[in-house]
Amino acid sequence: MPIIEVSRLVKEFGAGRAPLRALDEVSFAVDKGRFVTLVGPSGCGKSTLLQILAGLTAPTRGEARIEGERVCGPMPGKVGMVFQDPTLLPWKTAFANVEFPLDLRGDDRPARRKRCAALLELVGLAEFADHYPHELSGGMRQRVAIARGLAQDPKLILMDEPFAALDEQTRTRMGHDLLDIWAATGKTVFFITHSLSEAIYLSDAVLVMSPRPGRIIDTIAIDFPRPRELDIIGSAAFGAIRNRIWHLISEAR
Amino acid sequence: MRAAIAGYLIFVVVLLGGWELAARLSAVDPDLLPPPAEVGAVLWQFLHDPRFLGDLALTANEVAAAFVVAAPLAVSTGFLLGERLHLAETFNPLVHFILAVPQSIFLPIFILAFGIGFLEKVLFGITHAYFVILINSFAAVRSIPRPLVTAARVFGATRAQIYTRIYLPAMLPLILTGLRLGMIFCIIGVLLAEMYASRRGIGQLIFDWGEGQQIPELLAGIVLISVLTIAVNELMRLAELRLAQFRAAAAAG
Amino acid sequence: MRRRALVKSLTVAAAIAAAWEAVVRSGLVSRIILAAPSDIVQAAASDGGVFLRAFATTLAEIGAAIVIAWTLGIVTGLIVGSSRRLAAATAPVLSSIFAVPLIVLYPLLMAWLGIGSLSKVAFGAFSGFFPIVLNTIDGVRAIEPRYLALARSIGATRLQTHARIVFPLALPAMVSGLRVGTGLVVIGVLVTEMLASLGGVGFLISYHRTLFDTGHVYFGMLLALLLAVAVNIGLTRLDRRIGRWQRREQAQE
Repeated sequence: MPIIEVSRLVKEFGAGRAPLRALDEVSFAVDKGRFVTLVGPSGCGKSTLLQILAGLTAPTRGEARIEGERVCGPMPGKVGMVFQDPTLLPWKTAFANVEFPLDLRGDDRPARRKRCAALLELVGLAEFADHYPHELSGGMRQRVAIARGLAQDPKLILMDEPFAALDEQTRTRMGHDLLDIWAATGKTVFFITHSLSEAIYLSDAVLVMSPRPGRIIDTIAIDFPRPRELDIIGSAAFGAIRNRIWHLISEAR
Repeated sequence: MRAAIAGYLIFVVVLLGGWELAARLSAVDPDLLPPPAEVGAVLWQFLHDPRFLGDLALTANEVAAAFVVAAPLAVSTGFLLGERLHLAETFNPLVHFILAVPQSIFLPIFILAFGIGFLEKVLFGITHAYFVILINSFAAVRSIPRPLVTAARVFGATRAQIYTRIYLPAMLPLILTGLRLGMIFCIIGVLLAEMYASRRGIGQLIFDWGEGQQIPELLAGIVLISVLTIAVNELMRLAELRLAQFRAAAAAG
Repeated sequence: MRRRALVKSLTVAAAIAAAWEAVVRSGLVSRIILAAPSDIVQAAASDGGVFLRAFATTLAEIGAAIVIAWTLGIVTGLIVGSSRRLAAATAPVLSSIFAVPLIVLYPLLMAWLGIGSLSKVAFGAFSGFFPIVLNTIDGVRAIEPRYLALARSIGATRLQTHARIVFPLALPAMVSGLRVGTGLVVIGVLVTEMLASLGGVGFLISYHRTLFDTGHVYFGMLLALLLAVAVNIGLTRLDRRIGRWQRREQAQE
């Protein structure tokens, strides 16, 4: 059974005269353990789709299912989220921020401390556990956010343009490290971005979304072998896929 | 905006309704809480009573006199200190000390020094209004963006032009806020002085009614003062708002 | 080094005291208006016990009023602030009431609750309530929606969201309100004691004024000032501690 199943999802804003249609009969499925990215131009509705998958907003029509269960609200045990803004709690250390979901859930102390230490190690911030968010760079904060997203051991991680606010170099680095984290944890990742290169580099498959109202134009399988190094970005094959996606989007306007 | 109006209406309705209800409760002593109608009648009589109106006028005069003296003094001092920062540094601790201290405490000294007549109340009101307006005027001067002044000089603006076209519009909002707060503090100071020791004036009337347990008159006085001060406050706030809009329009044009 | 500075300050203070004494004794300023330091010391020596008891009374009244104002202010602020509509309707009303010189309500409290400590505590609490509730509402409204989205996505209950996320985020604004509000509590209690009371520092100040015992008046004022300044310092410390992380966050942005 696919871990994500979306069928004929429609989202409209503003009832009455002229409702704004953000999503137009979106359907797709994502299998377990895969890294799938949704790519599309700004304003196409990809964030809205993620919000629906996260249970933070309800669709107007159609349904989304996670592990066969219909999405009616957030499912913290199953779904972890990483937003574009790390949204760390400023008065808590990196460690405490990662620990926070487990604290709320009521896990007992030794277990959750152990888990958090392991997670910070995983994202490469073990030495910064006692640092406060204002002492960390943008990339480091986002790593903490990723560790926090993994805290409750969800099967699925949703990521909403998590690296969009970072500079080019940090962004590329983070993408590479994210793949290592993904390989180590075996989760399913559903990633959103407007950067074509990022999408192709990271994913097993790329869902291409049209400009508003958003619908899935095509699904492109990415067959580069893993583990992937950054140099594939310059290759001809990579460029060809990029061009293809670019044309798909511009033709859909 | 609509929510605010609704809020006011609901508040007035709840207040009057609750008041009426409470007054009708047999458990409540009608001497302690007369119904709104009775208070309204008393207030109506007051508004036709020359002696009462005389007291009201006296208080208003004291407030006006204090404000008219304090405002220009405070604005100019604030302006001076704002422009000559070395002076500000000398006076800063003194001003902060005075603000940290409850000025109302000095009322007995004022009475010992100036008696309980018109002068004493006006002086007391002046001290209350002065410091608030001073602080805001100082902040107003500091808030002028220096690069703007430099640019104007480079373009050959005369002193007069710099003052009227740059300083004035930039300073106006904070100065107006300071004036509004100064008015509130001035009213508080004058009323307090009248309540404490005075032969005439609204404050003295109210305090006497309180001591004499003349509740209907007392409530009438409270209602009148509340309405008047709220009206003054809202009018001044409206002026601030209008000016802000005017500024925005002038800046755009 | 520090001892040098201390000696310096003490010498300056002693010099001022000596000059002050000389000015008063020379008859330059009437002894009725300006008490000499020796008069103040004499008052302390002869009636120190009475003043100390009064100080305790005032302190107790202030303490009780603070507890009530803080609790009511913060709880009301958190509840009202959590709803956009409620805040939009309520805040302007509260803000307008705050423009009324609350001192005019004291005679009413006097008539209802007598001139003992109860009316002082009630007035003090009422005075302090408004800045606290208004600032708390502002603090809660200012919380960015991303924090609430975070709370939902990690499965926090409503109580957890309010206690662990909303409250800490609103804390700096809240403390700002606590500073102003507590200042008003202190002034409110002292002033109402001056107006009509059976005990407390304010009462003694008034009492001795009627006897022209200026030394005692000044001694009482000194105690009142010490109280006000001590409270102010305490709250400034609190403000500084709480606001630390927020200021650093803002500096980073």
